[in-house]
Amino acid sequence: MGQNAPLKIKEREFILVGLFLILTAAIASLFPNIASPNPNGIIDWISIPLVGFPILSSIVLLAFASQEKASRRTKLDSPVRLACLAFSLVPLGISTALFFDWLAVIDWTNIGYNSYVIKHQYVWIESIGVSWHVGMDGLSFPMVWLTSILVPITIVMTWDEKNGSAYHPLLLLMGGSLIGVFVALDLFMFYVFWELTLIPMFFLILKWGGDERRYAAQKFFIYTFTASVIMLLGLVTLYFLQPIGTGAHYGELTGRTFDMTLLIDSARSGNLDGGTWLGIDMQKAIFLMLMLGFLVKLPAVPFHTWLPDAHVQAPTGGSMLLAGVMLKMGAYGMMRLPVAMFPDALMYYQDLIMIIGLVSLVWGSIVCLGQTNLKRMVAYSSVSHMGIILLGIASMQPIGYAAALFMMFAHGLISPMLFAVCGAFKHHYHSMEIGSMRGMAKWSPFLAVYMMFGWMASLGLPLLAGFVAELMVLLAYWPTYGWWILLPAFVLVITAAFYLWSIQRTIFEGGDEGQPPESLHGETPPDISGHENVAMFLLALLIVLFGVMPFIALDMMNSWSNNLFEMVFAQQGGA
Amino acid sequence: MAGSGIIDYAMWIVLLPILAFPVILFLGRMFNGLPQWRDGAKEGGIISLIVMGISLLLSLLLIMEHLNHVGSASIYTWFTSSWWDGSTAVMDTKIFGVGVYIDHITVMLLFVASFLCFLINVFSIGYMNTDPINKDRNHRFYAEFLLFCAGMLGMVLADSFLWLFIFWEIMGLCSYLLIGFYYERPSAAYAAKKAFLTTRVGDVFLLIGLIMLWDMFGSLDFAVVFDAAAIQAVDAGSLQLALGMMFIGAVGKSAQFPLHVWLPDAMEGPTPVSALIHAATMVNAGLYLVARMFPFFAAAPLGSMTTLAIIIAMVGGITACMAALIAFVQKDIKKVLAYSTMSQLAYIFTGLGAALWLVNNGYETLATVAFGASLFHLFNHAMAKGMLFMASGSVIHEMHHAHHEVHAHHDGEDGHDDHDDDDDFDAQSMENMGGLASRMPITATAMLVGSASIIGIPLIGGFWSKEGIIANAWQVALKEPIFMIPAMLILICAGMTGFYMSRMWFMTFAGEPKTEVAAKVKEQTAWIPIPLVVLTFVTLGGIIFAGLHSTNWLGDSTGGHFANFFGDHGIVAELGHAFANHDIFFFILTYVTIGLSSIFGPMLAMALYGGSLDEGQKAKGWMQWLINLNSQVKTNFHFDNSAWANSSLSRALDNRLYFDAWYDAACLKLVVGLANMASVFDRKVIDGAVKGIESSTQAASSKVRSLTTGSARDYIMMAALGTLAIFILIWGAA
Repeated sequence: MGQNAPLKIKEREFILVGLFLILTAAIASLFPNIASPNPNGIIDWISIPLVGFPILSSIVLLAFASQEKASRRTKLDSPVRLACLAFSLVPLGISTALFFDWLAVIDWTNIGYNSYVIKHQYVWIESIGVSWHVGMDGLSFPMVWLTSILVPITIVMTWDEKNGSAYHPLLLLMGGSLIGVFVALDLFMFYVFWELTLIPMFFLILKWGGDERRYAAQKFFIYTFTASVIMLLGLVTLYFLQPIGTGAHYGELTGRTFDMTLLIDSARSGNLDGGTWLGIDMQKAIFLMLMLGFLVKLPAVPFHTWLPDAHVQAPTGGSMLLAGVMLKMGAYGMMRLPVAMFPDALMYYQDLIMIIGLVSLVWGSIVCLGQTNLKRMVAYSSVSHMGIILLGIASMQPIGYAAALFMMFAHGLISPMLFAVCGAFKHHYHSMEIGSMRGMAKWSPFLAVYMMFGWMASLGLPLLAGFVAELMVLLAYWPTYGWWILLPAFVLVITAAFYLWSIQRTIFEGGDEGQPPESLHGETPPDISGHENVAMFLLALLIVLFGVMPFIALDMMNSWSNNLFEMVFAQQGGA
Repeated sequence: MAGSGIIDYAMWIVLLPILAFPVILFLGRMFNGLPQWRDGAKEGGIISLIVMGISLLLSLLLIMEHLNHVGSASIYTWFTSSWWDGSTAVMDTKIFGVGVYIDHITVMLLFVASFLCFLINVFSIGYMNTDPINKDRNHRFYAEFLLFCAGMLGMVLADSFLWLFIFWEIMGLCSYLLIGFYYERPSAAYAAKKAFLTTRVGDVFLLIGLIMLWDMFGSLDFAVVFDAAAIQAVDAGSLQLALGMMFIGAVGKSAQFPLHVWLPDAMEGPTPVSALIHAATMVNAGLYLVARMFPFFAAAPLGSMTTLAIIIAMVGGITACMAALIAFVQKDIKKVLAYSTMSQLAYIFTGLGAALWLVNNGYETLATVAFGASLFHLFNHAMAKGMLFMASGSVIHEMHHAHHEVHAHHDGEDGHDDHDDDDDFDAQSMENMGGLASRMPITATAMLVGSASIIGIPLIGGFWSKEGIIANAWQVALKEPIFMIPAMLILICAGMTGFYMSRMWFMTFAGEPKTEVAAKVKEQTAWIPIPLVVLTFVTLGGIIFAGLHSTNWLGDSTGGHFANFFGDHGIVAELGHAFANHDIFFFILTYVTIGLSSIFGPMLAMALYGGSLDEGQKAKGWMQWLINLNSQVKTNFHFDNSAWANSSLSRALDNRLYFDAWYDAACLKLVVGLANMASVFDRKVIDGAVKGIESSTQAASSKVRSLTTGSARDYIMMAALGTLAIFILIWGAA
């Protein structure tokens, strides 16, 4: 008891530090506006509250925890995770408030092309044209919202993870850097955050992963890093080839800029009336370099093999954020850069993208059917679903783009559900093998319900989030590619087959007595714990909400896609 | 067009059961095991009964309001999206709406669905809550039951093919959950998966069909796609293809050849589920979908879509005979009914095919009659089959009960608590029954009337509609020779129906009890007789509907009206039309059909099965004469059918013509084999390539590392070489 006494003070300190941080964030978020009044008169709700605050607070928490002796660190778990949960609610609150117009009146369904709401730009490195430039539109806001929703849910889901004093801050850091990727409107900043996301994920896999975590973490890091280096090469080429310009945010030394909005404007005027910005060959070259980086991240077959390894070894929280948001970085990047800047190259490679999408879709689902590991199966199903996004892009229709965007959002809710189920399964049954046990519904009715719900959502049951996206992609797909639609249709059956087969061999069967897995050594399997129940319930609720009322997010995605077509492709005089 | 009145509240017919679904699950979770919950609320049964009662009431009000006119209401925008025409650079906004659409087809199916769901709910309270195996898990049943009903009601009320599909899928999910209700039984888990996957194959084609339709019309709303001008504007060939794709969906859902394999296995679910899925609701969904295609065939250019009409009729004809044949050898009472369902649905498909052919060739009056007859058969079949399933459930339930008593008596101790899974007694096998006519009078009567309706005994329920279907199929056959095949098949099938339905009744209710258990059966469970009695009268009342000229009303969904029962088109005209047709061909056809279905088939069954009841037992008057007739026929005409019973055809029928075996083999060997190969390929080749790059990089780097010798001399040497190289490069550049 005596040992605990000093720690009580520590806990109080934590609460004080937390309050201090929140206060700082609140003041800091007001500050830029005071310093340089924004043209649209809106407070910068992005830089500090959405990006800076989670990253900084998680670093502070990590630093605090690492100061403690290892023996006493477990005592910190509880206050740290509370703090993390509280801090992670800040971005959620801000983004939700922005959506509901509580902080500023924003017409989310009417954001002009390449103009963003609450756009804020501060000079960073003047000599080469780098600025801290953030903003949101119909493409990035749903992703930001999704991330800020998922982080607190993930923290609740993994409430009792061991070494929580380091684990939960890493999740918070992950969330902050992911939001950073989505709000960045500067290539330099975009790349920094893009790589920053690797760091927390690398440590999450390395320190909390399964038996082969070292291999998986290294593979994950090296594979995606190599791809992003190629992407960087594309970005740098783009930077140097752009026409030299003058004005704010163009580098003093180089005469060029990293600013995405300026680049996109430049691309648009260059592409006007049949012109080809940078020349068609260079467009194709940069397009391919950028796409390669994004396709690996997505991941698309054949660049997908890092994903199952990373997922199987990653801890539950890592998997949830990896599948939920990190994969969408690839799709987001495609939509933001190559699609918007190189319409001619996109049209040239349209069929190639379609084929890659189709191959991912079909291959992912067939491989799923051959898996015996629950988490591996779910990981491959992600590969399959990401193929749908590529099909949406290749359809070259606003409805296809809106569908791809909604697929990103819907899969961002459904796949964390799937990995949460896998995590809970592993946690309570100490096994991942499909068919190692029978009759889960008998012992773990809640887990069985969530599993069935998640599986059904993933196989595209109507009125759950995924259905609308799949329907819209297929609607856009048929007029362009005709009878190739039989392949996605075949995948719908295969998807149902592997999900139902795994349900049959886990939830069902087992007779009156049931058949617990050997890994439990005869113990009675427990049902999921309270915090897991809360997290999965929230996810299920969101999946139903966005399935029944897709327009909440779909309206702004739709207007973004329309805008893209009117501004980018309408200039090309026909696809 | 905005409606007003009850139609504005129509969505609550669907919403109420959906909202009650989580409520029952939650309450069940909270109060499971409490006596008030178990006996007072019947584990949720009372809640669901109230909800279904309100839905039924609303439906009836809605039906009264829209008995004779088309209506639609409450169109909300669900979401919007855009279509971009690249050549003209025009952005076209597409709206996906949600709303309610009502015409005669909707009215009829709405009545069937809400009325039967309510009655089945009543039956379930008697059936489910008294079976010890369901102890403390009935709330799950009632919750899923409600969601299922909501799916069916929603599908019927939907105003677009999109929402039809959405509710169609929800029904698919619920059928999966309900068939797998006894999840711990491997057979139930297998059957549930099979049902979902088989229908999923059809659903995917339906989805493709809908996508093609959307591409043609730019919308899936009935109001848009049923527009005659719009239909004439699109290419009839593509339209036929799209509708053909949708028809595959209907084939899956209505369990027609070749996607029929799921239906018999689906009998693994509790009996109320069988009544619900296989009679009242889900299997009718496919018919509803095909019926909804009528406007396309009516407006398309003459003769442009006859191929699809013929295919629909062919599928119907083949399924009708195949299912009837398999029903010959079934021993499980529910399986007989399952195959009978398949066969009767096939009749309706053939009738619809005939109607579609007729309307596409310009015979509009005939088409109306054929269409009306098909839908009238749907109604009659749903009522009769719902009743038959519930009656079979009643038999099975009382057999179980009696078995418990016998069991307990033998053991000399209380054997009520543990369920009889441990012994081999099959309470569903007709070989264990017999002689129940006197022991279960209400059930036996219901079974008798239901079977008569399915067989088509003159003047009872199904007779009117079945006559219509067969006559209209022959109408087409006279004009289009290839239609002879389905027309002939369903004519033969009428006789087969007469045989297998009679066989079922006589095996179960006539003759002496074949087991000790059957002799002890008593009709004693509350709630169960209510729906049986109600439906017996509804089925007997088929003559009233026929007299009201429902075929005309159902056939013409915009202009059709009920006729006066005693008026010009009333019962006299119907009777004259049926029994004294002035066209000699149809006059003969009628009596051939009656002869086959009502005399030949039942006589054959009587010769082989049944017999007089055991000593001292006497059935009610309306059944006793039949049993007497049965015993006379059996004594005079009995023949040895063991040659047939041991034939290879009989064995093949017993194995359901090996369809299931082939499908299983194809799925397991082909698809799963391919998947396993793909999984190995993915690991060894695709990931192997990545690992190859990795290991070769490592090998290369260890070569390079060997340059790191640690000796200062080597480093100076290398620095010098490097400097030299740079000098050479600069020199070369300069």
